[in-house]
Amino acid sequence: MKHPARWIAASVGAVVVVLGVILALNVGNDPQVESQKNHLLGQDAPALNLPTLAGPRVTQDDVAGKALIVNFWNTWCIPCQKELPALKAFYDAHANDPDFAMVGIVRDAQESKAGIAQYVKDKGMGWTIAFDPGSQAALDFATRGQPETFAISPSGRIVGFQLAEVSVPNLEKMLSFARGQT
Amino acid sequence: MKAVLGYAAIAIGASASVVGIAALVAGLRMHDALLLRVGRRTVFVVLGAAVAAAGIMEWALISHDFSIKYVAENNARGTPLLFTITGLWAALAGSILLWALILGGYLAFVTHKFRRRADDALVVVATITGLVVSLFFFALMLGPANPFTTLATAPADGRGPNPLLQNHVLMAFHPPMLYLGLVGFTVPFMFAIGALVTGRFGEGWLTDTRRATLVAWGFLTVGIILGAWWSYEVLGWGGFWAWDPVENASLLPWITGTAFIHSVMVQERRGMLRVWNLSLIIATFCLTILGTFLTRSGVIDSVHAFTESDIGPWLLTFLAIVAITGIALLAWRGDRLRSPGRIDSAVSRESAFLVNNLLFAALAFVVLLGTVFPLIAEALRGSRLSVGEPYFDRMTTPIGLALLFLMAVAPALPWRATSGEVLRDRLLAPAWVGGITMVVAVVAGARGLAEVLAYGLGAFATAGIVRQFVLGVRGRRRALGESRTVALGRATRSNPRLYGGLVVHFGVVLIAVTLAVSSSYGAHREVRLARGQSATVSGYTLTYLGAHIDRSAQKTSISAPIRVARGDHVLGVYAPAISTFPNSTEGIGTPSVRTGVVEDVYLTLVSSPTKGGRITLGVRVNPMILWLWIGGGVIALGTILALAPRLRRRVRPVPIAEHRAAGTEPAPEDALEPVPSEEVPA
Amino acid sequence: MKRWAPWAVLAIVVAVVLVIVAWPGGGKDAGARAHDLAAELKCQECQGLSVADSSAPTSVAIRADIKRRIARGESDAEIRQAYVDRYGEQILLSPEGSGLGLVVWVLPVVVLALGAAGIWFALARSRREPRLHPTAADEALVDREREAHA
Repeated sequence: MKHPARWIAASVGAVVVVLGVILALNVGNDPQVESQKNHLLGQDAPALNLPTLAGPRVTQDDVAGKALIVNFWNTWCIPCQKELPALKAFYDAHANDPDFAMVGIVRDAQESKAGIAQYVKDKGMGWTIAFDPGSQAALDFATRGQPETFAISPSGRIVGFQLAEVSVPNLEKMLSFARGQT
Repeated sequence: MKAVLGYAAIAIGASASVVGIAALVAGLRMHDALLLRVGRRTVFVVLGAAVAAAGIMEWALISHDFSIKYVAENNARGTPLLFTITGLWAALAGSILLWALILGGYLAFVTHKFRRRADDALVVVATITGLVVSLFFFALMLGPANPFTTLATAPADGRGPNPLLQNHVLMAFHPPMLYLGLVGFTVPFMFAIGALVTGRFGEGWLTDTRRATLVAWGFLTVGIILGAWWSYEVLGWGGFWAWDPVENASLLPWITGTAFIHSVMVQERRGMLRVWNLSLIIATFCLTILGTFLTRSGVIDSVHAFTESDIGPWLLTFLAIVAITGIALLAWRGDRLRSPGRIDSAVSRESAFLVNNLLFAALAFVVLLGTVFPLIAEALRGSRLSVGEPYFDRMTTPIGLALLFLMAVAPALPWRATSGEVLRDRLLAPAWVGGITMVVAVVAGARGLAEVLAYGLGAFATAGIVRQFVLGVRGRRRALGESRTVALGRATRSNPRLYGGLVVHFGVVLIAVTLAVSSSYGAHREVRLARGQSATVSGYTLTYLGAHIDRSAQKTSISAPIRVARGDHVLGVYAPAISTFPNSTEGIGTPSVRTGVVEDVYLTLVSSPTKGGRITLGVRVNPMILWLWIGGGVIALGTILALAPRLRRRVRPVPIAEHRAAGTEPAPEDALEPVPSEEVPA
Repeated sequence: MKRWAPWAVLAIVVAVVLVIVAWPGGGKDAGARAHDLAAELKCQECQGLSVADSSAPTSVAIRADIKRRIARGESDAEIRQAYVDRYGEQILLSPEGSGLGLVVWVLPVVVLALGAAGIWFALARSRREPRLHPTAADEALVDREREAHA
């Protein structure tokens, strides 16, 4: 009988070849890209029901049938501060569209509610600002950090997402996605 | 200027490798001594080239020559000298340069050591193999991993090293030690290929490389333990091993390398397990290359991963060539690798080593599978899944416990076959020590299955080790009347492999027990403290003394001094910090650890002081961590002991017949050396 | 029989200890459950840490959410599923025991079993074959010597 070394060598060789092919296929991929995706893309967005800075809660009724932009932010992270001008410009351009809604959800361990209210006033953030008690909305949207921005179609589906600061072109693109879908 | 010189040095190294390979191949085939000599000399040219290139890079770093891209990316004017020097291995291209340098050193050492056997085909083929590997690494530096690329305009100041790499003095030790280990395994690999090609797969190639293998293994073990220490002291997440893909990449060759250094004992003694040994060392070398690939190709997400480059396909191709060549050679020589000996009994030292090989192979398989499985899942399904600590812990713990059991039992097993009586003499008492330890542990409150088994098996192994030492000392005292210390010294030095190995095993026991304890006990809390406030965790009182800001050219640090006290006894002030470096937006946390014999108090600054002056302090109480580092030190000592030369007597003893004729008595030191009952000096 | 006695007693002692230790005790308390679940989820903002070990804001939020879910009476499996629904399978650090994940649990066991079987057969084969085959000349030699010294 041939020495079993040949059989073992053949099977090990086969495994090595398979492993090599898999590694070769993966060489081009960037695992970081994976972590930039959002698992809920294409699925229904979680229903909104949050207390706002202004007082009355924002609920799903307020945003039903509208193209919705949801932006998670806080007062201290540098990209959040950097994207503020873009958000303001974008909001000002679309504030009067009947089918448009924008909600900023703030999760901030460093500032009190009064501090956040002052910040919002100082920066002139005109859109609905909501709090996220217990970070429930952040988890329901499967966020991974801040800032994070979502585009939601009028039928309630998440159609766009960006983890990182947004620019006006980004936002416009997300809005057109939201409107293009029903 | 420096860049040109550096690149030239690399080109010289590559060409010298080519010349060497050609000369040696031709010299071997034509039996031409001159060509063989030329081939050997090129090895020293390769070393010289590597030294020159590394020297030029260090010169560029120390002189802050930012016209060279590598220096601009990994050094800044404010970088302290130590981290300027360690910048040589701070990023990908430099790490390849370090690899080439160490490889050149090993090759030169081997060539020098075997200079009297320069025409021996085994040595020549081994040298050719070594030069092929060095050619590959120099070619990498000529191509995708060029450390001497220049910038069109030199910036005024460099970016500085990655903040994590300029935080701790371990940066000077962990990578070089790791590389000394990983690269060192090239030496037995070279000789294994030599043995397969020349057909001389007896024990010659093992004996030739025994010391080098042990040195490489020692460095790799210490390098991995230093890596764990780094993870603990620098990264600040509170643990020392995360089963991160790059950590696994260094562990895999260690696993097969450890199997190898044990399995070769069977081949030395009985000529068996040849295929295992050749396969293990080829696998070890392949795993070092695989590890290099995983770390540098950007394929796997890891805290360690070097920045991406095009180096991936090169490494993968080289790995494929090496693996397929090794497997092909083994398949070709398969029939002739049959050994003359047979395993006589299931309970014998040989079969214990065979089971040892199987367990280590299974361990390597588990770690490899878990590490690459996310890639496999992605290739098959398009989405990744994660394989992390819970998987690895659950799968490796049973194997680890089985290995611990073997470690306790195998050194006492005789070769070939044994009887119940011998087993009872050698194993019963240590086994009872283990059993009683388990009872004591359970009575003291331990309730984890793996934990209690670890204590029992660890005690079993330790009792066996102590027994061996006691027997060795007692034998010498009875026969030669030496004092205990002298007997101990002479006994260990007359059989350094045995006693060195036992010391290493004891270090392993220390680490195993510490792993068991630290995974079962410990506390973790986060507390918010204002200045002057205290909190109590696990009996320690922690008082926040107020933040402190330090600015230097290198970094800005906010530190939070915390007074740690146990009851009334103040243990000291420890200051975890968050540092920001000029060229990075994120802060890097630095933990502060109060190391104790029984447990560590591990403090991290989770968030810097808020407007109200409150900090969030992370507190962990980690039991017995110090014993990990002590265990590592014991392993290092044991390895050094095992490498020591055997004590040989200088004076030729006078034969008894001569004494009888002259009417004299033989001197005590001329009496036959008593041999411990189970170990015949090899 | 007497030879085996000390071993047998030791075996019994060890078995008793192991049974005591492995006996399924009371269920985990809420804190332990929360910690164990957090250790099984991957931090979404870090490199390779678990939610239990990380201080990132998302991880802090997840730990608090796990505690709330346990208080609401959700089972471990339900909590894990809730997170898989949101973040995808990659959030589990320990692959599920079904589908592709099963491979990573079963394959090492299979490999180990095959290896052990291989060693078993190798040992058995080496014991079945006699070590030496006496040739006719050997037999004749033995007979001659026997007669010479009978």
